[in-house]
Amino acid sequence: MSHSRVSLRIRRPWRFAAEATALIVAAVVAFPLYWMVLSAFKPEGEIQSTEPRPWTTAPSLDSFRRVFQQEDFGRYFLNSLFVAGVVVVASALIAFLAATAVARFTFRFRTTLLIMFLVAQMVPIEALTIPMFFLMRDLGESVPGVGLNTLGSLILPHIAFSLPFAIWMLRGFVKAVPEALEEAAYLDGASRSRFLWQILFPLVFPGLVATSVFSFISAWNDFLFAKSFIISATENSTLPMALLVFFKAEGNDWGGIMAASTVMTIPVLIFFVLVQRRLVSGLGGAVKD
Amino acid sequence: MKSSQLSVSSRLSSRVTVPVVALALAGLAMTGCAPSTSDNSSKEDEKSGKLRVWLFQEVNNAPKKKVIDGAVADFEEKHDGTDVEVTYIPIDTRAQKIKAAFNDPKSAPDVIEFGNTDTAGYVKDGGLLDISKEFGAWTDSTNVDPTAKYSLTIGGKVYGAPLFVGVRALYYRTDVFKELDLEPPATQDELIATAKKIHSERPDLYGLAVGGAYTYGAMPFIWANGGDLADEKGKFGSNEYEAAIDSANAQKGVKAYTSLFGDDNCPAAKCAQWGGNDTVEAFASGKAAMAIGGDFNRQAIEAGKAKGKYKVVPLPGVKEGDIAPAFAGGNNLGVLKSTSHRTLAVDLLKTLAGKQTQRELYDAMGFLPTFTDVRGDVAHKDAFVKPFVKTLNDSAKFVPASPGWAAIDAQLVLPTMFQEIVSGRKSVSAATQDAAKKMDEAFEQ
Amino acid sequence: MSAGTAQHARRAPAKGSRSRPGPAVPAGRRSGKGPRRGTWTPWLYLAPALVVLGGLLVYPIYQLGLISFLEYTQAQVSGGEPTTFQGFANYAELFGDGEFWNVVVATLLFAAVCVVSTLAVGCALAVLLTRVRAVPRLALMLAALGAWATPAITGSTVWVFLFDPDFGPVNKVLVWLGLSGFENYSWTYDRYSAFALVLFEVVWCSFPFVMVTVYAGIRAIPTEVLEAAALDGASTWRIWRTIMAPMLRPILVVVTIQSIIWDFKVFTQIYVMTDGGGIARQNMVLNVYAYQKAFASSQYSLGSAIGVVMLLILLAVTLVYLRLLRRQGEEL
Repeated sequence: MSHSRVSLRIRRPWRFAAEATALIVAAVVAFPLYWMVLSAFKPEGEIQSTEPRPWTTAPSLDSFRRVFQQEDFGRYFLNSLFVAGVVVVASALIAFLAATAVARFTFRFRTTLLIMFLVAQMVPIEALTIPMFFLMRDLGESVPGVGLNTLGSLILPHIAFSLPFAIWMLRGFVKAVPEALEEAAYLDGASRSRFLWQILFPLVFPGLVATSVFSFISAWNDFLFAKSFIISATENSTLPMALLVFFKAEGNDWGGIMAASTVMTIPVLIFFVLVQRRLVSGLGGAVKD
Repeated sequence: MKSSQLSVSSRLSSRVTVPVVALALAGLAMTGCAPSTSDNSSKEDEKSGKLRVWLFQEVNNAPKKKVIDGAVADFEEKHDGTDVEVTYIPIDTRAQKIKAAFNDPKSAPDVIEFGNTDTAGYVKDGGLLDISKEFGAWTDSTNVDPTAKYSLTIGGKVYGAPLFVGVRALYYRTDVFKELDLEPPATQDELIATAKKIHSERPDLYGLAVGGAYTYGAMPFIWANGGDLADEKGKFGSNEYEAAIDSANAQKGVKAYTSLFGDDNCPAAKCAQWGGNDTVEAFASGKAAMAIGGDFNRQAIEAGKAKGKYKVVPLPGVKEGDIAPAFAGGNNLGVLKSTSHRTLAVDLLKTLAGKQTQRELYDAMGFLPTFTDVRGDVAHKDAFVKPFVKTLNDSAKFVPASPGWAAIDAQLVLPTMFQEIVSGRKSVSAATQDAAKKMDEAFEQ
Repeated sequence: MSAGTAQHARRAPAKGSRSRPGPAVPAGRRSGKGPRRGTWTPWLYLAPALVVLGGLLVYPIYQLGLISFLEYTQAQVSGGEPTTFQGFANYAELFGDGEFWNVVVATLLFAAVCVVSTLAVGCALAVLLTRVRAVPRLALMLAALGAWATPAITGSTVWVFLFDPDFGPVNKVLVWLGLSGFENYSWTYDRYSAFALVLFEVVWCSFPFVMVTVYAGIRAIPTEVLEAAALDGASTWRIWRTIMAPMLRPILVVVTIQSIIWDFKVFTQIYVMTDGGGIARQNMVLNVYAYQKAFASSQYSLGSAIGVVMLLILLAVTLVYLRLLRRQGEEL
């Protein structure tokens, strides 16, 4: 990692000011998160109190108990992990190939294609749900494992929705790999697929990690497909369904909502912590023009 | 060509792949010439096999599950060769789930629980089965509360059985009333005066917590003044409606309700946005001396500061001794058109919505029974439900049983109307007329 | 962003010093790459993506267009009523609704403010991250990642809690700081303060994406370039304007386009925080409008018409943005 040493040259008072600012901003940004976790631990009745306190004297695990005691909670968790995992890997591979095509080749409709990739994201997703519903239903008749009620019916749409962004991001990383490297590889007798998988792929791997974070979050936090496509097979539901239980017409269970959200956010944070070093070194590649 | 490294086979494969992809895309486009529709009526009536039931998942679902499990075991014992699978669906996902069940009969259950305002829409969507004959032949049906039955009747046909009802009444803080030496209000005018008196003497409290988006809290004011949301065109039961929210009587009710928004009771800046839950939360947390809450809000209020310091009376009408009609909410059970076990499904519905189950559900969950005799029994045992049962028996009313109601509800026509008035954007007559226009558009669709 | 000649003077050597050896290729144009022209190879690489996108996105979008010309509600889908061709009736209904145009204008303005604020906060904090040591950097990074990972529905709920006039701590703190006007202040009652509250939440949950991306981009800029500028005594602002921003262009383009799309389609935040569009619908934005007008009551045909209109507006905005970039010599 080519860490910039510029920071060391900054005059001391300025650096202290900068660090103080960073810490204050971090505290402000983290405060809503703190409030979420705090509300999850507050006893019922204290969450909406006329004397809001940033602490609680009687922490309670009741809200978490209501989350974990849901039937099949563990199963939902594993389903979410599986869906997000497959989406991350599949969309990274597909996007890598496509990004190589648009970054390394000139061909007709290249620019049009790039813009087309974005178009699907411009439509309200509810508008696409009905056509996709019937598509999944019909697809399920001929291809087992992707029809309605299967995890495949969640995986496929998520891959489709995370691809455009992944291709756009990865394009920058692929572009960053010097042309000379490619030519040298061919001179050494490497085949095109050898170059692709054994030289280019490892080079843009940090970029793949970076884009994976986005697909992971979108698949992990999705409500709409989960509640539209998993109809009778509740054993194939995902984690957000365990959160939605707490929203009710005659009064939301705030404690449950906060506890379930905390439980949902933690795996993403762990995923982040694991990838954050690669993420930062990875994204940098995108600027090398 | 410098790309001679590219093997012949891979070039060939690329030549093959692209047309194949193009063909696949064309194939998809062909099948998509018209948007899909689904036919979900079934002619079969199997006498054994698996029956699927969808019920709403409550936050504290275990007691409900226990009652249902008992009823199901009973049913399975009486019907050889049947297997009932009950699934509890999160209430927040019900709209998508139930529509999906209509669209994909293969995934659809046989019996569903649904909110009673959704009946007309689900009938129009072709989802519910007409069970008038079986309902008429059911001996218990004579005791079914007429308002609950009305919510199931579309075009003279019955589309299910009511499972429980919910109704709102006036919660008030006994300690505050004692401190200020007040009596529970006996008329609507007294209610408004009491609310303002409390706020002037105890500025830290809202007299009566009201919400601009709390439509069900506002309806009693409209009904008590002789107005209505909409009038049924032609004879009763035609299910064709015409908005009446701009009639003189309805406007009187709207005026009475909106007069509660202001610095003398519930400041518009806060209360204009509130829905029903917010007013109940204000009461539960000790910020309000009165609130219009349902029997189903008991638990939330017991969990807050108001615990043990409140009582409930029916919401007073215009004249002394009258009760303001309240909206009879609640849930129904219905059989789906796509069921291949019609007879069994209706039998199961009768078990699940029967007197025994309703009694047990009340004990477990506090759901008010829909049979007037069973309801009388529970009111006898528990003083808390008395004002609610009295309201239901005297003067409960229902929203228009029209598919248009779903659109009116979704488009927030009534909340917008109340908010326009209390924020001073429009006069009562202008706002009600605009709302009436939007309601008529929705009824026509 | 007109950079002036000074910038170009700086930019040229900066580019030259980058990793690409050999003669500099004119920006963007991939000339002299004969071997890769006209082969099927790019299409082969694109094939998996095209199959997935063609099947799962192009097809539904084609259906979207089709449905927008029909009468197609749940009654048609499952209720056995015939699907009829309506011509432009759905569009006429939409354009005839006086509220629609107000909502379009409000959405465009609100999205613009969101995009600009998110980019400004994200970029500023990214620069700040390069100025601090590991501990504060990690603290800020983790807080930001947490904000990013929180489900939108929860984030919005928590922000409403924090700003609640009766139950929220924010007003209490503001009053304690001496701003007595915030005693019991209701943020959602006034149209602009309600939009401001939503704006805070939108920025809170979307700046981390910008910050992390831009920070990573800055780290990839060769150290010598920045050191040379610092030695010249250039201010932080000047270094950003003349060195970092131009070099980060490819990243900023992606980030900007994505932010435009996301913020124009903002739904959960408005829906949760203003209870479905605010007092008397004062905070209505297009996606919430579409939901209430069409999707919540299963009027798919009207919803599709709204979807098509939104698509066209966003496409126009994106194309204008890309055209502006091209005028500055930036090629896709």
